[in-house]
Amino acid sequence: MCYLCDEYGEGDVWYLNPKNYARNMYRLRAPGTGFRGADAGLETGERAGPTLEDLLQAIENGQQAEIDRIKREMEEATRKRGMGGQVVPLKDADRMLELSSPIGLIACICRKDWRAIDERSESEYTCMGMGVGMLKWERWPERYKGGVKFVNVEEAQEWNHKMDKRGFVHLLMLFGAPFIGGFCQCDYPDCLYIRNAVDFGYGLLKGHHVATVNYDICNGCGLCIQRCQFGALKLEVTNKKANIDQFACYGCGLCETGCNRGAISLLERKNIPALAEVWT
Amino acid sequence: MTIPRKFPKITIDQEKCTVPFLCKKCLQICPMLVFRVERVMAREERLKEMDPRIDGNYSLSAPRRDKCTVCNKCIEVCPVDAIKIEVA
Repeated sequence: MCYLCDEYGEGDVWYLNPKNYARNMYRLRAPGTGFRGADAGLETGERAGPTLEDLLQAIENGQQAEIDRIKREMEEATRKRGMGGQVVPLKDADRMLELSSPIGLIACICRKDWRAIDERSESEYTCMGMGVGMLKWERWPERYKGGVKFVNVEEAQEWNHKMDKRGFVHLLMLFGAPFIGGFCQCDYPDCLYIRNAVDFGYGLLKGHHVATVNYDICNGCGLCIQRCQFGALKLEVTNKKANIDQFACYGCGLCETGCNRGAISLLERKNIPALAEVWT
Repeated sequence: MTIPRKFPKITIDQEKCTVPFLCKKCLQICPMLVFRVERVMAREERLKEMDPRIDGNYSLSAPRRDKCTVCNKCIEVCPVDAIKIEVA
């Protein structure tokens, strides 16, 4: 069981528990400090602890114990701030969107930071904010520079399917656990969470599924390979079929939705003994 | 086990690089996404909208220098010669 399900799932997957979308959960995210008028917000919590540069220097110096300590501290800091997220396949995303309200399409912060991409029109938005926090978007004019486009559940699902077709991984983000406040469309290396997870192994949970290939149906066309953002999928030259490294698979399901022949399916992680507790 | 390796040192002359979010040449040419542009904000200003055309509102850094291959494309494309890369 992933730690989010353990703490907030109440017997089910945490993001299918309607409680975690509830308005009053939003209040709980920063008890005592988070609600001082205009000061309240995602940036209330000061960053502390080791930085990425500390990690790089530890790697340069070959200090394995130090590397492990920094990664652990970063992971703990993420959890303490109630941040973090998990990869969600398209089918689960459809169910998740039915539970959240309101839903607003917004500009992606990672693409802004790493590629200086300024999404200024409604047709360009590649990120989604959810929950009552979105109603206060005007308080953060820098974050929501391009504005917010509020959509209903059907429009949100349609948008999400379109993004899936384009090849984006769906990440569900916590904003003060267990409150679910963001739903991102990500790729490697532009997404900070995916990049930290793939390069260093912290900050993001793998999804509740693992992809598998049916060799009888796969014809080795390779369409799925370009859709894997985690480097888990390649063409096995020997038998000319798609090959998935299930230990590297994040269960995003992009290979599944990209396969015209239906040769790839998603298995439940908990049913696979060796993978049941592989979350990073 | 991570294999130790010395990463290139990238220095950005902040006095020369004043409007990185407007210029964005290095950010968009880098094949390894080494650079990052962030708004510069005092605590009391964190709710303000920043104009990318104003000097010093955004600052450029190179947080993922571990990914730098020293291809020097950023140096070639920088209009103000603000980037310096040292190979360790």
